[in-house]
Amino acid sequence: MENNVSHALLFLEEEVQYICLTFMAIMYAIKIVTLLKKPVPPEKAELKGDRVAGAFESLLNILRPWSMESTRNNMYFYAEFMIFHIAVALTIGATFLIPLTPQIMTPPVTVIFMVFMALAFLIGLRRIHRRLTVPEIRIISSPDDYFAIILMTVFFATGFIALYFWLNKMPETAWMWVFFLMTTFFLLYVPFSKISHYILYPFGRVNFGRTFGGRGVTNKKAKDTNWNPTL
Amino acid sequence: MSEKAIKLGAEKERQWPTKTEFTPEMLAEMEKLLPSKLNRVVAASLAGCIHCGMCSDACHYSVSIPEDKTLVPAYKADRFRKWYKSRYDWLAKVFPSFVGAQPLTKELAEEMYDKLFGGCTMCRRCTLNCPMGVDYGMMVRAARSIMQQVGRVPQHLQDTVDTHYNAGNNMAVPQDEMIETIEWIEEELQDEDGCENFKIPVDKKGAKYFLTLNPREPKYYPLTIQATAKVLNAAGIDFTISSRYWDLTNYALFNGNDPDAKLFSMWQVEDVKRLGCEYLLAGECGHGYRALRWELPNWVGGVPFKITSVLELFAKLIRENRIKLDKSVWDGHRFTYHDSCNIARSGGIWEEPRTIIRAAANDFVEMEHHGPESFCCGGGGGALAMPEFTPRRIAAGKIKADEIRATGANVCLQSCHNCTDQLKEIIEHYHIDAKVMNLAELLAPALIL
Ligand code: SF4
Ligand code: SF4
Repeated sequence: MENNVSHALLFLEEEVQYICLTFMAIMYAIKIVTLLKKPVPPEKAELKGDRVAGAFESLLNILRPWSMESTRNNMYFYAEFMIFHIAVALTIGATFLIPLTPQIMTPPVTVIFMVFMALAFLIGLRRIHRRLTVPEIRIISSPDDYFAIILMTVFFATGFIALYFWLNKMPETAWMWVFFLMTTFFLLYVPFSKISHYILYPFGRVNFGRTFGGRGVTNKKAKDTNWNPTL
Repeated sequence: MSEKAIKLGAEKERQWPTKTEFTPEMLAEMEKLLPSKLNRVVAASLAGCIHCGMCSDACHYSVSIPEDKTLVPAYKADRFRKWYKSRYDWLAKVFPSFVGAQPLTKELAEEMYDKLFGGCTMCRRCTLNCPMGVDYGMMVRAARSIMQQVGRVPQHLQDTVDTHYNAGNNMAVPQDEMIETIEWIEEELQDEDGCENFKIPVDKKGAKYFLTLNPREPKYYPLTIQATAKVLNAAGIDFTISSRYWDLTNYALFNGNDPDAKLFSMWQVEDVKRLGCEYLLAGECGHGYRALRWELPNWVGGVPFKITSVLELFAKLIRENRIKLDKSVWDGHRFTYHDSCNIARSGGIWEEPRTIIRAAANDFVEMEHHGPESFCCGGGGGALAMPEFTPRRIAAGKIKADEIRATGANVCLQSCHNCTDQLKEIIEHYHIDAKVMNLAELLAPALIL
């Protein structure tokens, strides 16, 4: 596929994106450094498990839905979660592939991207509905929570339509403009929004894994699981 | 008596000044304290919640009291998080309500008090089920710590800590009374068949194990000391009980006061060193085990001895055939076991109790949720020391009561004195025909001597 578009759209797809991406990276770097500067609670107790193994295991928790009751008992919710997040990666990936390596966005590849975007759009609608109607979710929801999920859902829809025209050899459409304008907004907005949770995810998981792993709660099969008093 | 009674606890007595409501001065002080409580775990836990709601079914409060949606974990934590966001969230500087930020007001602080003292036992079951790894144990303790510093802390909880501070144990048992109690228990033990030579050594220098107790034992449950001592004697374990800092509880874990937590730990460390013991041995107490085994080394900066629990020791005695048991003494009884959150989920011990139970009894049935996934009974986090929240505590114990009932057990075993009291209350309240026992009480009658 070729990305035969006007100079203006190309400018939006490339230079503008790079500037916004740099801004996002700086904001994330500040967030990460701020957290890294916080003191880590000490662990001077004799360990029963391996804190490093615990941290790795905890980071990969996302791929082990059976490890948490909340996902184990709710595999449908977990499947939605996985599809949604794969779609996020693909949609953001598309904003790089289209201007930089359009030849990769062949019709079969484009269709795969579109399938995930369509599914994620439907999942997004379901999540909005859930946030609005399930009392225990509604009570904890802030406007940012609603805005984030609505934004993502619209983003998937826009991406889907833009790719539909792309598939039909119409790389420059109003939809593609909207898609990239949204991407621009995303890059500027996300560091301030809950959507940036993926930056915090490793911190939370590593903290959890080090604590519970070291105590032999989560990585029982790692070395030194059975702490033995001598008789 | 091994020595002349000495004054235990801090030299100068104190009564922490508590307050019944937040004042503007207290709120200003809390604003100053907040940054000092934000270590990496607390900060990531406050910033990292995505309001997915996956923890809602994990908490015994929200599961047992489904009609009150303000008891879901994320809502409770948000009482603290809103304040945190108002200080540290970038977007909150411009659009506070958009991100759910709220400056610390008297109303918000009162909600925080209600939900984080009276609506959370810091059991960390939600943490286990949170995709973001939000650590409620650490986060809620940080919030409690800030409130306690300015005097807004449940009176009875603070009294428990103050008593420990003033008397060296949380029930103000004087040294001479403790020694007399142990001597009396030793006599009772020696009256049992086959136990004529059994001893409960007090202040024995160089003993291998320094056995610690929950003050409820000498005060109300001396038979549990007798049962523990019987098992240790039967196995030929070289142990002692100190006449000084034998109390393994540390309620400063619950009110969040770090200097007190450290002080109580320090007393115990010095006492183990005084007697030259190799092991500090936690008796059957949930938070006490966690406070000794996992928190004490951090509070005091490391220790020159090992720390273990009677559960680990009993399991080891069974695995190595150091004690022989006759299971038939418990025929006709069906047992289930409640895992204390601080022993299992925050302590890594859940296989050992099962080793013990299976060695001593034939009929053992697990509750639906057990091991690290066990529901809190509702008595953790100092909840039993907060009478103002008693109705909610009993209501929150419903899920545990339902699970006990479903096993058909007539004995609910556990290894924690807070759990004992809560389980007894909910078993009575929810009309379950079962009694509550700890593991030493299970083992002692089954010993073949
Ligand atoms: S599961 Fe974790 S991230 Fe989700 S609402 Fe609960 S605390 Fe927040
Ligand atoms: S720590 Fe326990 S009591 Fe507190 S919110 Fe989580 S599950 Fe509920």
